[in-house]
Amino acid sequence: MREEKAAVIRKKKKIGKNIVKENILIYLMMLPTLLLIFVFSYIPMYGLVISFQDYAPGAGFFGDGVKWVGLKWFRRFIEGHYFSRLIKNTLVLSGLNLMFGVTAPILFALLIDQIRHIRYKKFVQTVSYMPYFISTVVVAGMVISFLTNDGILTNLFSFFGLPRKDYHIDSAAFPWIYTATNVWKGFGFGSILYCSVISSIDPGLYEAAKLDGANRAQQVWHVTLPGMRSVIAINLIMAMGAVLSSNSELILLLYTPATYNVADVIGTYTYRLGILEGQYSYTTAAGLFTSLIGFMLTFLANKISNKLTGYGLW
Amino acid sequence: MKHKRRIREGNPVVTIILYLMAGLTAFIALYPMYYILILSLSEPRFAATMKVYLYPKGLDLGAYEVIVKDSKMWRTYRNTILYVVPTTILMVITSTLAAYGLSCRNLRGRKFINMYLLIPMYFSGGMIPSFLLMTRLGLYDSPLSQILPACFSIWNIILVRSYFRTIPDALVDAARIDGAGIVQTLRNIYVPLGKPIFAVIAVYTIVGIWNSWFGAMLYLPHQEWQPLQLYLRRLLIEAQATINGGDDQLGGRRTDASRSG
Repeated sequence: MREEKAAVIRKKKKIGKNIVKENILIYLMMLPTLLLIFVFSYIPMYGLVISFQDYAPGAGFFGDGVKWVGLKWFRRFIEGHYFSRLIKNTLVLSGLNLMFGVTAPILFALLIDQIRHIRYKKFVQTVSYMPYFISTVVVAGMVISFLTNDGILTNLFSFFGLPRKDYHIDSAAFPWIYTATNVWKGFGFGSILYCSVISSIDPGLYEAAKLDGANRAQQVWHVTLPGMRSVIAINLIMAMGAVLSSNSELILLLYTPATYNVADVIGTYTYRLGILEGQYSYTTAAGLFTSLIGFMLTFLANKISNKLTGYGLW
Repeated sequence: MKHKRRIREGNPVVTIILYLMAGLTAFIALYPMYYILILSLSEPRFAATMKVYLYPKGLDLGAYEVIVKDSKMWRTYRNTILYVVPTTILMVITSTLAAYGLSCRNLRGRKFINMYLLIPMYFSGGMIPSFLLMTRLGLYDSPLSQILPACFSIWNIILVRSYFRTIPDALVDAARIDGAGIVQTLRNIYVPLGKPIFAVIAVYTIVGIWNSWFGAMLYLPHQEWQPLQLYLRRLLIEAQATINGGDDQLGGRRTDASRSG
């Protein structure tokens, strides 16, 4: 009896030892990835402290030479000459993107779902993904050349009675150019997710709706859209969080000093003043301010979504 | 009979309209690319007027000849490939190892690791602290600046992990009972079964790196190591400067082009 117990304990100890050994091995395997994340994701977060300092290039983040200046840079950013313009531009561009960039893939997925001819459907879908795979640089080049005085889109506009001019340096046109480019590039690829959600909706629900006399629009409204609710909610929350961080890569390629008044956003401003002019502390403060607001917006959107639809990120 | 059919198929006029709308969407997606293609194949005198709409006017491969002979462009192609290949391989490895670790059932401290992965998805240091870090690490002006920060992705880890979750426990248990250790289970069960998801993240990574230019603009000041997209951007800026001729509206962009080039 005692021997048996001792054997069980020995066995347990052995298993315990094995688990420790295995855990060490598992951690060793995960180590390179965890280390990369630490270096390239966590250290920059820690580097945010320079927004509270008078950071001199080449210096460390802490230590003797560091001059702490509190909220000086934040104050300068908020009271600064460009603050209202930056916030306004960011909100306008992201707002347009939220309106059209988020809805276009949903509408396209709903449209595609109505196509019963399989080969035609496949063709339309495949073609719609293609713009996503073209690089932003090439897309920007195309857009600019289409919108010059004798470009193909300008021809189209003048056909519809709009004045002929260089639309690519036109302030009034810029937000629409930016939005249209984003939508063109992303609607097909963005719809993949929605299409897969639609295809997972129980066909029985459609049968039931039909029996109840629902027409096509009513089926979409009462079956398809409710089936997509959770994914749409989550995508909207993510988009809300990104409202203050518009696609500055595309803007950097499309804007010119002639359109800065409507195109300059916090991301591009940070690039020009931070990277090109070396105002590190100031632009880090601007960036931190943006991420904090973005985080708060995500939080708020999540809360609202949880209340309204019962779905949320957490 | 007719009535029943209408309920099932809906109004044929609406059906036709929907098919036309889908066709129009496909046209909008496709035509700009086709237009660029026929423009590039047309004779320069027609291309210059931009009045080429349906098919190339006067076939001329001159533009392609210029490209093929452009040694600078070939160098940037080489650089891009040098960045794409190792980054993609490393991406698959780092994602797989981390995802595998997270799917081991007796992993201790999983909660902590999950938190560790979650935080950077919502919060990041941003452009300037990353730039300063890269400079401090000596990666500024080094080709490694295009590989190291790009060879992992938390999103991909989560993607691979959720795929690994679909592998039946029974399979893993059977391997363990047969005496397979942690490494053997990974090599003989997870890696062969995970091939589809590896392909997915590899494609994402290849497309992402192939098309990226911003990181290269930040960290690679010399043409020697610049990738294709940065070269294309320089062409774009030069073209814009020509379009705008004398007026110096692009002054700001020219300076930052000369900086990156």
